[in-house]
Amino acid sequence: MKPAQFEQHEPETVEEAVSLLESLDDRAVLSGGQSMVPMLRFRLAVPETIIDINRIESLDYLEEDDGWLTIGALARHADVEHSELIAEHYGSFADTAPLVADPQIRNRGTVAGAIAQADPKGDWGSVLLAHEGEVVAQGPDGERVIPADEFFLLPYDTTLDENELLTELRVPTPAPREGSAYHKLKRKVGDYAMAGSAARLVLDDEGRIEQAGIGLTAVDITNVRATDAEDHLEGERPSSELFKRAGELAAEQSNPESDEHGDVEYKERMVNVLTQRALGDAAERAGLVKQRVSQ
Amino acid sequence: MTNTREITLTVNGTEHTIDVEPRQLLVHAIREELDMTGTHIGCDTGNCGACTVLKDGEPIKSCLMFATQADGSELMTVEGMEDLPEARGDLHPLQEGFREEHGLQCGYCTPGMLMSGKALLDENPDPSEEEIREAISGNLCRCTGYQNIVRSIEYAAEELEEVAAADGGTTVASGTDTSSADAPSAFDSEFDCGVENCCGGPTTDRNHDADTGGEHK
Ligand SMILES: Cc1cc2nc3c(=O)[nH]c(=O)nc-3n(C[C@H](O)[C@H](O)[C@H](O)COP(=O)(O)OP(=O)(O)OC[C@H]3O[C@@H](n4cnc5c(N)ncnc54)[C@H](O)[C@@H]3O)c2cc1C
Ligand code: FES
Ligand code: FES
Repeated sequence: MKPAQFEQHEPETVEEAVSLLESLDDRAVLSGGQSMVPMLRFRLAVPETIIDINRIESLDYLEEDDGWLTIGALARHADVEHSELIAEHYGSFADTAPLVADPQIRNRGTVAGAIAQADPKGDWGSVLLAHEGEVVAQGPDGERVIPADEFFLLPYDTTLDENELLTELRVPTPAPREGSAYHKLKRKVGDYAMAGSAARLVLDDEGRIEQAGIGLTAVDITNVRATDAEDHLEGERPSSELFKRAGELAAEQSNPESDEHGDVEYKERMVNVLTQRALGDAAERAGLVKQRVSQ
Repeated sequence: MTNTREITLTVNGTEHTIDVEPRQLLVHAIREELDMTGTHIGCDTGNCGACTVLKDGEPIKSCLMFATQADGSELMTVEGMEDLPEARGDLHPLQEGFREEHGLQCGYCTPGMLMSGKALLDENPDPSEEEIREAISGNLCRCTGYQNIVRSIEYAAEELEEVAAADGGTTVASGTDTSSADAPSAFDSEFDCGVENCCGGPTTDRNHDADTGGEHK
C-alpha cells in the first residue's frame, strides 16, 4: 500500500527540527525510515507532516568524547558495524551491529531510530541498558538527559516527549578492565531476536566483578535489565558456576510469551544460555583489555 | 491536496528531473516515473530485497525510502549493468555468472541479487563463500536454494579479476581453475556437455580468454 498523503519538511539543524516539532500538530520524525516507512505503508501511522531529519549533518557522528561513546541520531547500524573504534573497544556493539536486520537495512536504519522505535524485539535497547547508557533529547526547553533505565515504557512507547528530538545516545567509555558482548537467537539470518542478552562486566584490580550490566531482548514488554543476575554477580570472581547461576536468575526474571517461535519454558532456557554466553565473552574481553593495558 | 516536489536522480549515469509527491517511494519513482521496471517489488515490508538498488554505491531497499530522500544522489539499477566498462558492451560478469551457474530460476529476485552482489564485489573483489552469503542475506530467493547464486557471484569475482588483469596489460597466469571445480580434467580435448548453449568447457588457452573476454559465448 502507498502511504497516505503528507506534508514534508527537511530541517537542516536541530533547532529547526525542534521548532517544527513544537509548532506542528500531527507530525512524525523520519530518520532511517526502516521502521517508519513500513508503518506509513500499512497506515499504522498517518501523520499530516513528516519531519525528515536526514539532512541534519551535525547529527551524523560516532565518536568518543569526554568519557563517553557518543552516537549521533544519524549514525547508521552500518556505521557501527564498520567502525574501528567499536571493533576495538566496544564488544557488545560490535557483536550487535551485524546481527541487526540485513546489509541494506543497516545502511539506512539508525541506532537512535531503533531506540526511539522501542520495539521490545529490538537489539540496541539491551545494549544501551547493559552499558547503563543515556539518551539525549532536545526539546523546546533545551537538552534533557534520560538514563536508559527510565527510557522504555511499553512496546513502541518511551519517555521521550513528543516535542523532543532524540539527538544522541551515549555510554561510558570502558574502564581499564571492562568487557561486553551480545548474543542473539533468531530463526534465520536477518530476523528479529527470539531472545537476546547483552552483558557488560567491569572487573576490579583483584579480578572481582565490580559492576555488571545485563539487558534482555524480546522477553518482556520492553528491553529489560536482569537486575537479580547483576546483583548476584557483583563482588564475585568470574567463573562458569557463577555465570550459570546468573543465567538462571536472568531467566527467572524474564517474562517471555509463547508464540510461533517457542513456548515460555523454551525461551526462558534460551535467556539462561544466551546470558551465560554473553557473560563468558564479556569476562574474556575484560581480560584481553587488561593484557593490552599492561603491555 | 497534491503537493509535489521536483527532485533530481542520477540513475545509471543519466540525470532525471521528476516531480514526485512526498509519499512517493523510491521504487515507485524508478518503476513508474522513469519506466525502469528491472527493479522489482516483492513484498510490502522490507523483507525480500527484490527492490535493492545502489544509492551512492551502497545497497538499499528502495521500497523503504521516499524518492525525495534520494534527491541529488547517484543510483544504480540492474539496467545500468551492461553499460559498465567491465561488461565490455555485453552482459556484466555478474549477469554472465548468473547465466553460466544457473543463479536464477523465475528471476524475480535476480535484479536485487545482482545489486547486492555488485556492492559486495566493489568493496571486496575476492569474497569468501561466507561473505557472499552475508552480502545477499537481505535478498530472498524462493527458487534456487541460494547455492547457485553463491556460485554465480564467485564466477563473477573470478571473471572480474581476469578483466582487471587484462586491462592492466598483464597476462592472466594465475591458476588453472576458471569456475567450476568439478569440471572434467581433459582440458585439451574438445568439450561438449551436450546441453544446448554448452559453454565449451574450460580452456587451457589463457590468452584466448584474455583477448576475447572469455569463451563463454
Ligand atoms: C526487515 C526488517 C528487519 C529488521 N530487523 C531488526 C533486527 O533484527 N533488530 C533490530 O533491532 N531492528 C530490526 N529492524 C528495525 C531497524 O533496526 C530500524 O532501523 C530501526 O528500528 C528504526 O531506525 P530508523 O532510523 O530506520 O528509524 P525510523 O524508521 O525513521 O523511525 C522509527 C521510529 O522512531 C522515531 N524516531 C526516529 N528517529 C528519531 C529521533 N531522532 N528523534 C525522535 N524520534 C525518532 C520515528 O518517528 C519512528 O516512530 C528491522 C527492520 C526491518 C524492516
Ligand atoms: S520490495 Fe523492497 S524489500 Fe521487498
Ligand atoms: S529465482 Fe525465483 S525468486 Fe530467486
